[in-house]
Amino acid sequence: MTIACVAFIGPQNNPMYLRSLEPASDDQYMKLHYVVHCSLDAVEEKVLLKRGPGDVQESYLGLLYPTEDYRVYGYLTNTHVKIIVLLDDEAPVKDDLVMRVMKRLHNLYVDTTSNPFHKFGMPISSPRFDAALESIVSVYPRPGGSVGGFKT
Amino acid sequence: MLRGGPPGARNAPSLEQINAEVFTLTYGSIVRQLISDFEDIEEVNKQLEQMGYNMGIRLVDEFLAKAKITRCSSFKDTAEVVAKQALPMFLNVSANVANWSPDQTECSLILTDNPLADFVELPEEHRDLKYCNVLAGVVRGALEMVNMEVECRWVGDMLKGDDCYELRVKLKEHRDEKFPYKDDD
Repeated sequence: MTIACVAFIGPQNNPMYLRSLEPASDDQYMKLHYVVHCSLDAVEEKVLLKRGPGDVQESYLGLLYPTEDYRVYGYLTNTHVKIIVLLDDEAPVKDDLVMRVMKRLHNLYVDTTSNPFHKFGMPISSPRFDAALESIVSVYPRPGGSVGGFKT
Repeated sequence: MLRGGPPGARNAPSLEQINAEVFTLTYGSIVRQLISDFEDIEEVNKQLEQMGYNMGIRLVDEFLAKAKITRCSSFKDTAEVVAKQALPMFLNVSANVANWSPDQTECSLILTDNPLADFVELPEEHRDLKYCNVLAGVVRGALEMVNMEVECRWVGDMLKGDDCYELRVKLKEHRDEKFPYKDDD
């Protein structure tokens, strides 16, 4: 199981952060944006379907949908920030492992928005965030690292 | 300010405590507000220092009343008390005193942990901001009230990539105690 891409999407479905963990061309970034964009529909569906009266929404949404190259996993915070993780492995995925990564990404997001200089709701551009994200993700072996910033 | 010493600290009087994150975020908001109000980083540094000074001149009384300390015999003693007792009492971190100048009038307070600056990442356009300048003011204000004129400046700042926070404290003048009344009163 390797993580190909991590994305943070704001409450109004505004992209805040998207990062490929492998070297990626602009075209590939476009593709990742596309996959993440599509996953937002799946998030909505999941949330609407699951929610019965009096239900407490679980943050971890699990597998949203599989594509040809990726499996898309989602996580929804109480403030409707979505964390989308793309896994690109055929091997069986351990759900609790993904959940742990999501939790840590959520914590990282909280710490980053606590920075008084962070403009709330704006794209995240912070070297410290990049580094911490890498270290969270690097728990899971992947072929090669890369530096790829937020591209729109 | 953050109250209460670390558990088990020597002479730690029981003071009211506040949640560290509330404190950190509040200070962050103040700094941001100052930046948007003044727009000039130098002016913000000055304002933070002035705010700290105003705190320091009040805080020293509380410190002296609640910490069970004896009179300091030298500036060296004073520096130790600030680093090992005053900072733990109000900020819940202690500092090391180091880098004494040969004539013993200048030293550094070294902090490796600073609750003021948790979460903070200084953006490039604010490189000149002395984020924790309020502390420099507090030390200056507090020492001024005990008849020591000092000059404080930051020479190390972890937000700017240094290994630690280093506050340089320089003793400019040690005034005699003055009393507001005359001898023949």
